[in-house]
Amino acid sequence: MADTNPSQTHASGPQTTGHVWDGDLQEYNNPLPAWWTWTFYATIVFALVYWVVYPSWPVGKGFLPGIGKISYVNAEGEVESWHWNTRAKLLNEMQAAADAQKPYFDRIADLSYDQIAHDPELNSFVVSAGKVLFADNCAACHQAGGQGKIGSYPNLADDDWLYGGTFEEINETLNKGRRGYMPGYAEALAANEIDALAHYVLSLSGDSVDAAKAAEGKALFHSHKAACYYCHGDDGKGRKDIGSANLTDQVWLWADVPGAADIGTRAARVRQVIAGGLSRGVMPAWEGRLSPEQIKVLTVYVHELGGGQ
Amino acid sequence: MSATSAVDQYDYDIIKKFSVMAVVWAVVGMFVGVYIASQLAWPFLNFDSPYISFGRFRPVHTGAVIFGFGGSALFATSYYVVQRTCQTRLFAPGLATFTFWGWQAVIVLAALSYVMGYSQGREYAEMEWPIDLLILFVWVAYMVVYIGTLMNRKQPHIYVANWFYLSFILVTALLHTFNNIAVPVDLFSMKSYSLFSGAQDAMTQWWYGHNAVGFFLTAAFLGMMYYFVPKHAGRPVYSYRLSIVHFWALSFMYMWVGTHHLHWTALPDWASTLGATFSIMLLLPSWGGMINGIMTLSGAWDKLRTDPIMRFMIVALSFYGMSTFEGPLMSLKDVNALSHYTDWTVGHVHSGALGWVAMIAFGSLYHMIPKLWNTQMYSVRLINAHFWLATIGVLLYITAMWISGISQGLMWRAFDDFGNLQYSFVESVAAMHPFYVMRAIGGMFYLTGMVLMAYNVYMTIRQGVRAAQTAATPATATA
Repeated sequence: MADTNPSQTHASGPQTTGHVWDGDLQEYNNPLPAWWTWTFYATIVFALVYWVVYPSWPVGKGFLPGIGKISYVNAEGEVESWHWNTRAKLLNEMQAAADAQKPYFDRIADLSYDQIAHDPELNSFVVSAGKVLFADNCAACHQAGGQGKIGSYPNLADDDWLYGGTFEEINETLNKGRRGYMPGYAEALAANEIDALAHYVLSLSGDSVDAAKAAEGKALFHSHKAACYYCHGDDGKGRKDIGSANLTDQVWLWADVPGAADIGTRAARVRQVIAGGLSRGVMPAWEGRLSPEQIKVLTVYVHELGGGQ
Repeated sequence: MSATSAVDQYDYDIIKKFSVMAVVWAVVGMFVGVYIASQLAWPFLNFDSPYISFGRFRPVHTGAVIFGFGGSALFATSYYVVQRTCQTRLFAPGLATFTFWGWQAVIVLAALSYVMGYSQGREYAEMEWPIDLLILFVWVAYMVVYIGTLMNRKQPHIYVANWFYLSFILVTALLHTFNNIAVPVDLFSMKSYSLFSGAQDAMTQWWYGHNAVGFFLTAAFLGMMYYFVPKHAGRPVYSYRLSIVHFWALSFMYMWVGTHHLHWTALPDWASTLGATFSIMLLLPSWGGMINGIMTLSGAWDKLRTDPIMRFMIVALSFYGMSTFEGPLMSLKDVNALSHYTDWTVGHVHSGALGWVAMIAFGSLYHMIPKLWNTQMYSVRLINAHFWLATIGVLLYITAMWISGISQGLMWRAFDDFGNLQYSFVESVAAMHPFYVMRAIGGMFYLTGMVLMAYNVYMTIRQGVRAAQTAATPATATA
């Protein structure tokens, strides 16, 4: 096959370049479409404009800053103007959000919890701001709806409050954090004693258990040997000042009793807590990390989540 | 015309091997893709196993489709095109065979290492350093074979498809080398650390990442287009001048655009501006290929009614035009503020990958495979079914990702009247669920079409091999 074959597919059609490959591959020599050329030029003009507006070419140790400007309010409350940059744009946008929130936070700072909860507009703000604050700071442990996670984090959406559910108590928990602790009894008590205690604890919340074991457990519970009553109280209802759990309700934080099908499994799970004790019940302190107004909003928000006291 | 048949005239064995593996990797890679898409829609499919979790399977998917399917299809078609347009056999056929076994080993080793948890954490370059070295050897061998063949050509002029293949081979060598400069923890450790750090590392990664798209998935497949479209349509390429101008403009512009992947990050603002503007200026150079392809087909519209291979090619060019318009749009700072980190990006890359790259590869393979085995495709009706399944699959996929991506972008930035964010992240995740289901179904359509192709190719090869055996009596070789 000749590669200089000046063949044309159509006698009246455009010229080919005259080259032929692989038997029949040829190329027309059509000019560039005019719309293509002009649109290409237009994109170049667009790029030039973009370079004028935004920071663009590096020059020496700096770069062309562009004529675009962004203004924002700095930490001293002064208006500053900067060439367009993502940092300034972020400050500017955060400022706009903070400006929208400010009147509400200002009112919240001056009002009591009750006044906030009973003011419909502020209450709407608490729902709006509290949702974001909760999602950003609390949901990682307590989950998106505050339902917590058995075995790890308390449920905030029920009416059981380890450290108390009044506004003041919730605020204290948020500001200072909490550190739940229960000693482990694996070495202090025999296995059958721990089993007896487990049955007694389950009986407190109405589970049908082995009566003989429960009776033995009850004696141990109130004895000096185990001394469970010291933290959980004579009635097993717990003490809010130290955050000891109420053992007489259906709410379980550490042992997944509701998720166990039979009494054997339930007892085993309670035994595990008694034997091993607990040292993981740590809630961090938010004072200093969030503003007092933000903590106040969260206080009301969490109070409403669980029908506070 | 030479008296010997093309089957004897050219080195077809290596092309056959790569063609078969292209089809195999397409089935494997697309299956894994459908599986991970399904994991996002129905998370129980993780089965609590780390080996098949999304994080490990995702690079298995991208590796198998880009390098397994795409790479094998490029090796096959480039070896086919370079021989036929240079009228010469492959230079160094031993090295060519090495590129086959070496490349397949890369794909298998990469997939195994990902499943075992080894990853450089560099997108589309997750292979750890020993595999990177193997790639380097294979690539140098490829370059020697390809350039050697070009230098042995019996034609004074180099056909346009070869410019594109050659730019792909050269740039991929460059990208692969610089993106993978890393220091192994020790000689017998799979783990290594990049020599670059911080924003420079990210910039190197995306200089590689976008040029992998630009040269591996675009320039190379344009090379494929420039041979198979005019060849299949039996028409001359529309404009030689346009092919020159858009080739050089494309090669020049692409090199700059990687930083548009790093808008709104720690990358300096000026670098992101340059990425955005070169992306805008890349639009028309990209469209040059689409115009040349579509205008080449324009004299053969009647064939679209009867020839599903032609349909694959025209739809591929349409998706190419659409995604190369969408890309520059998304690279503008303000559009990117909405689209970044959302499923819109995932949809964009798949409209390019499924719509353009895979469709042009399907069309080319359907054209080439019967010629390699000196036969006809087993079933044109199956090609037609593949075409419709693939087209419906892409449309479902990208529609789902447009809706979910734009919804995500809008939900993440929505403020209420109090100046607070309106949605938490998990609410946006929940809102995506129906679209993840739709995307998985789109993928299933696409995979089904691919399985039909695999069957069709298998039957075609069997038919070709049997015909050759029947004719294997002396003196029956005809042109």
